[in-house]
Amino acid sequence: MTTVAYAQRGGDSSQTNLDEVVVTATRTPRSMGNIAIPVAVISSKTIYQSGSLRLHDILAEQTGIQVIDNFGKGIQVQGLSSEYTLILIDGEPLIGRTAGVLDLSKITVKNIRKIEIVKGPSSSLYGSEAMGGVINIITDRAGQNKTDLGLRYGRFNTVDGNLNFSRRLNKTDLAASLNYNQSKGYSLKPNAVQKTVEPFRRSTQNLSVHQQLGSYWKAGASFRANASQIDNTIFVQNLGTTIASKGFEKNKEYNFTPYLQFNKEQKIKSILRGYLTGFNAVQQLAVKNATGGYDDRFKQLFARVENQTDWQITENAAFTSGAGIVRETVRSNRYDTASTLRTNSIAYFFVQHEQKFSSKFTWIGGLRFDANQAYASVWSPKIAFQFKPSGKLKLNVSYGRGFKAPDFRQLYLNFTNLAAGAYSVFGSEVAVNELKRLSAAQLLDQTTALVGNLSALKPEVSGGLNAGIVYTLSAKSQFTANVFRNDLKNMIVTDIIAFKKNGGQIYSYFNLKRALTQGVELGAQQKIGQWIQLNAGYQFLYTADKEVLQSIKKGEVFQRSLTNGQAYRMSLSGYGGLPNRSRHTANLKFNAENAKGYFSTIRFIYRSRWGTSDLDGNGLINRSDEYAKGYVQVNASVGLPLASHWKCMAGIDNLFNYKDIPFLPGNPGRTAYIDIQFIF
Amino acid sequence: MRISRIIGSAMLALVIFQACEKNEAPVVVATLTEKTVSGIPADTIVGLVNGQPVGAGKFTFFSFETNAVVPSTDSNSVKWDVAVRGTAIITNGGNSGPGVGGAFVYVGTFDDVKAVPKDSVFRQDNAPVSYAVPNSSNKGWYVYNPVSMLITPVPGRVLVFKTAKGKYAKVEILNYYKGGITPAATATDAEKLKNQRYYSFRFAYQADGTMNFK
Repeated sequence: MTTVAYAQRGGDSSQTNLDEVVVTATRTPRSMGNIAIPVAVISSKTIYQSGSLRLHDILAEQTGIQVIDNFGKGIQVQGLSSEYTLILIDGEPLIGRTAGVLDLSKITVKNIRKIEIVKGPSSSLYGSEAMGGVINIITDRAGQNKTDLGLRYGRFNTVDGNLNFSRRLNKTDLAASLNYNQSKGYSLKPNAVQKTVEPFRRSTQNLSVHQQLGSYWKAGASFRANASQIDNTIFVQNLGTTIASKGFEKNKEYNFTPYLQFNKEQKIKSILRGYLTGFNAVQQLAVKNATGGYDDRFKQLFARVENQTDWQITENAAFTSGAGIVRETVRSNRYDTASTLRTNSIAYFFVQHEQKFSSKFTWIGGLRFDANQAYASVWSPKIAFQFKPSGKLKLNVSYGRGFKAPDFRQLYLNFTNLAAGAYSVFGSEVAVNELKRLSAAQLLDQTTALVGNLSALKPEVSGGLNAGIVYTLSAKSQFTANVFRNDLKNMIVTDIIAFKKNGGQIYSYFNLKRALTQGVELGAQQKIGQWIQLNAGYQFLYTADKEVLQSIKKGEVFQRSLTNGQAYRMSLSGYGGLPNRSRHTANLKFNAENAKGYFSTIRFIYRSRWGTSDLDGNGLINRSDEYAKGYVQVNASVGLPLASHWKCMAGIDNLFNYKDIPFLPGNPGRTAYIDIQFIF
Repeated sequence: MRISRIIGSAMLALVIFQACEKNEAPVVVATLTEKTVSGIPADTIVGLVNGQPVGAGKFTFFSFETNAVVPSTDSNSVKWDVAVRGTAIITNGGNSGPGVGGAFVYVGTFDDVKAVPKDSVFRQDNAPVSYAVPNSSNKGWYVYNPVSMLITPVPGRVLVFKTAKGKYAKVEILNYYKGGITPAATATDAEKLKNQRYYSFRFAYQADGTMNFK
């Protein structure tokens, strides 16, 4: 029966269910109603009904999350950019970031059970990168005895084929999935020779095996492989002449996670886990009708062994501890020759204690220490309180520290751009030697005062405070609010250390910037009648560079009028904060469905204007023409059960065809698709 | 806020003025007229050499006193006060000209410079090592964006000049492109090159030799 099959696929509710079990917030299974930090869960049903294909599709519709198109699809959480959010698949971190951005379009959402989103610093459990939050993608359960086959076709020749397989054989649970995704790309500008998005093909394979060994022990392993190829046909206009290059970009990634688990009657649970992941990127371009070209190679390896042990000490006290070692290596011709190996080793431990004082009051404290080979060590504490005065009301307060380790690029980059002004960027560990080399070759003109400040980079750190309420009016309506503030320091920025004789500037990396992000997130859920579910969300966000705020207060910051070109002093209210941040974001989603599996959704996603680039010479976002226009995107979908074992859905993203060619190149306009699934 | 403050002080002045009216005559202070100049070419691009844009290599000379461009045949005289070529600005003094001119960059608004501060040090040109007005991005009057390849005057930079004849002027550069309009970042290279090296600026010149700009 279709309804049964349907219920299997989308078993959990689309609304926040306080009984929903979440693992990401505390690294232990806890029901949503007992978690003292901001958590959101996206169910597979919501993902299916929204017609999402890749991870960024579904995240773009969540309150307080912004998808930013820069070196791939990255996300902003609580106003912190992509490099400060940790992305996990089944608890293990993904690698392969470009300029700090992990491209979420490489992750299929066709084989996942749910997505857990934890907001606020979580380095006390997860270490580096967990500053803005953690997004954990939880894949389909093994051992479900079901198979589904899906095929989708959409505009731009987008094809997505998917096979999910899950079986229980005696004491062995199995899960496997295959995904293929392609598009021929598109051009936003009519008659343009170069496509805005180039044709690509991607594939993902997953396999996991879990074996019960007696009553306490369990062992298993997961393997995931992901590959993508993007065609590149690039035209560069250089002073009137057009240079055409042709080539490709190939990315390969794999993850392997073996584990051994001991679990005794919920009293003690210990898991020993290995994790090996590799990312291999190659980009090659050959210039047409001429010699020369571009060859970029980047190979990253991350290996980790970790133990985590959870003790349920008493009914009201739980203790978790963990420790692990990591070894990371990178080979890239961006740094040196592709054969030079750069390495870092990390050893860490973490502890967490959860104590219930009564049915109304709980606190959780956590601490993690990361000792690093390539940069300074870090302590990351976190503390959270929860107070439940009644069954309807829940109050949470938490404070945590987060950090992000300097990446290999910031340590070892050795890049000279010959096309645009012959500028160079040197990582902090190689800058001094590179300056010596240029000086010996008589190519160096002068150094700036900052040269004296070149030193080993420290991790970027943040402190984040979250305070929120969850108010459950009835089974049909719920209201949530969360106030947040993140203070970031030691942020790594590039600055000029020297000038070359040919005028080119030389940049390196420094722990210079301090910034803040703060705001409020509101959510409301209401069931209307028997069939209609309404979800609404809003985020107010204020961000600022703290040095800029100080300068504005001192009257040292100026801006230029659009009307008469004259400069005047900038006020605090005239400062637009960090670029790419929208002050107001909101969403409104209607979802109607009946018991037979028919559904329809309509989702309104709003984003207010956001700063793009400085135009009046002060290096800041302030003038009205320095913002991209705010907009509303409307997505809609319908689903119908076709026959026994078959279901079908169709949808249109960006119904009103909103486009912004310079500032939203990743938005192709109205896109229709149809999706058929066979479940048996 | 600024406007209301001006109105406020104007009203206050009116009250004081009325209060004083019977006893003494109001003192009339001559205010300097502020002048705006645009379209001053500064060695505009004439072509490409080895793929690099070049001009004819000539400075354009300007006099604050006459508010006019001075012919280059007068370059070895004190008839000019300032000259521009690309982003380079020279003063009639030091090793750039026979005058006593110099300049410095003041951080603030044009209106902030009510007088040349008493302790001001006028820098002089020592070409090609240094210039009174530094000629590099974010060091003097402009910032260069290597991505959009556009030149933008930094807001809040006032160039305070000592003229060839030893008088004082203050200048705010408003724009570096033809018609006072910076091309869009998405404009073609050709458009950016064709329209650049045209100065728009406003200035106030104190003819009486004092350091006041009121």
